Amino acid sequence: MTSDREALADAANPLGLEGIEYIEYRSAQPQALGHVLELMGFVPVARHRSREVLLYRQGGMNIVVNAHGAADGEPPVLAAVALRVRDAALSHRRVLDLGGWDVPVTVAPMELHIPAIHGVGASRIYFVDRWREFAIYDVDFVPIPGVERQPAALEGLHWFGIVQYIGMGRSADWVEFYRSLFGFTVMGDERETGVLPQGTVLQSPDRSLHLQLVEPEPDAEDGVEQLRRVAFGAPDVPKAAAALRARGVDFVESSRLHVEWRGAVTQSWLGGVMFELIHHDTP
Amino acid sequence: MLMRDFGMDTITLAGALDAKLAAMRDAGFTQVMLKANDLVGHPGGVEAAVRVVRASGLRVTGFQVLRDFEGLSGHLHDYKIDIAKAMIQMAHAVGAPVLLVCSSTSQHASSELDDIVRDLRKLALLAVPLGIKVAYEGLSWGRTINEFTTAWQAVERADMPNLGLGVDSFHIFAAKTPLAALEQVDASRVFLVQLADFMWQDIRSVEERITTARHMRVFPGEGVHSAEVAALVQRLDAMGYRGDYSFEVFNDDYQQMPLPLVAQRARRSAEWLGADVLRRATPLPGELARRPRA
Repeated sequence: MTSDREALADAANPLGLEGIEYIEYRSAQPQALGHVLELMGFVPVARHRSREVLLYRQGGMNIVVNAHGAADGEPPVLAAVALRVRDAALSHRRVLDLGGWDVPVTVAPMELHIPAIHGVGASRIYFVDRWREFAIYDVDFVPIPGVERQPAALEGLHWFGIVQYIGMGRSADWVEFYRSLFGFTVMGDERETGVLPQGTVLQSPDRSLHLQLVEPEPDAEDGVEQLRRVAFGAPDVPKAAAALRARGVDFVESSRLHVEWRGAVTQSWLGGVMFELIHHDTP
Repeated sequence: MLMRDFGMDTITLAGALDAKLAAMRDAGFTQVMLKANDLVGHPGGVEAAVRVVRASGLRVTGFQVLRDFEGLSGHLHDYKIDIAKAMIQMAHAVGAPVLLVCSSTSQHASSELDDIVRDLRKLALLAVPLGIKVAYEGLSWGRTINEFTTAWQAVERADMPNLGLGVDSFHIFAAKTPLAALEQVDASRVFLVQLADFMWQDIRSVEERITTARHMRVFPGEGVHSAEVAALVQRLDAMGYRGDYSFEVFNDDYQQMPLPLVAQRARRSAEWLGADVLRRATPLPGELARRPRA
């Protein structure tokens, strides 16, 4: 990537965005969700010092499972995405100046303050700049003994993006939100589609992160807006699906959907947690 | 066009929120334009007021009003952003799709269009996650933006999908803005139309304009600008506007009359607009092909 010495020098990528640092789930059933993540190839590598929060990892992907704030019986939700940026404080300031909603700081002493804004629904968008020399997890997390801290990715799985459900007629609003605040652009015909290609696909200015905005079906009454599921890129989707099947993951097989080279969709766990595989070469 | 296209504003009626809503409903209205004070002034607080509105069964037309917002800098800007965020959150809580913003009258505000546009963009972006649209209205005594024509320039330049125009007949007539200027406006970006009439032909000074606007408006058809109100509604309809019309009637007399009586006057106005004005606007069969579909 670029090595600009001047902050915010790149007009097309004003925050110096470089993909996802971690994705956070909030769950009242952290162990059950952890089991699902392990089926998907993730390994629990560290535990938060003071809270019931676990860090799972495979390859370059980090997932945080947070047991706090979840209501009993509520299915796990995608609660946050943490973006890698060149300078977290500057990025946060810039986004607030443009019209982001600040998230108040609630950290314990000696813990990292990770600046954030509110995203869709109850979700948050964090800004992280400490990921090259050392990791944010070095401060707040304790490694789980005897576990490989950098487990390899299963069949080259990597972040591809996130599917966001939006209300009817809200595509233009959300496109403008991600374009103005983060420099995302709408992808045209060149986009990687996967097996669920509806909606609008946005790409981050560093091209590593994709957001798929999906409006409800015309006659549906469900206008809930939320981060719905994570999509993993896989260089060889059938091969990755076979490896996941061997670990106990089922995939949706129906008249409309099945595992193919373009992509695949896993079964749903715990009332709605599912993952998508999309054909995408390892960056 | 039917009764359901028209709604009353709570600002017209005296008394408690639930009594206002009941009077509107009883008069046959299905929507209501709320003001922030309806919520914060409710004895049970905002949450109780939201419950009252939801229980009324009335659809919320919009939420008013954010004033003197754009063009400020430094601590004044930060202060107004806090106010704007609270307004957006209340609009969201009560299910209002649109927040009305009046153009600034502040002497502390910049008159540069760039500054105005920058702040309107910021407001619209703040409103996106909560699903609120922003309707920007040119107040006829606004410092820089004081007609719908210049308000539209700012909206167009800001180029945000959830930022549009709020049209208020009073300010158009008071400023004598030619209705033909609506041809510049994209009907899909008109997010709210507020209608009122008033009793005098001419307004001589800005002071008189403000006094009239705040105390002596009447329902469409009750004043001396009925023909102009009719022409405005017909023109909006012809250019494809299919959104709501609310009656923005500030009137001191109506504030001391029984609510059903005032609501009935509003109903007569809605019937006049719906049945007479817009029926007259129905085109001859040969013109149908050139007319946007309802």
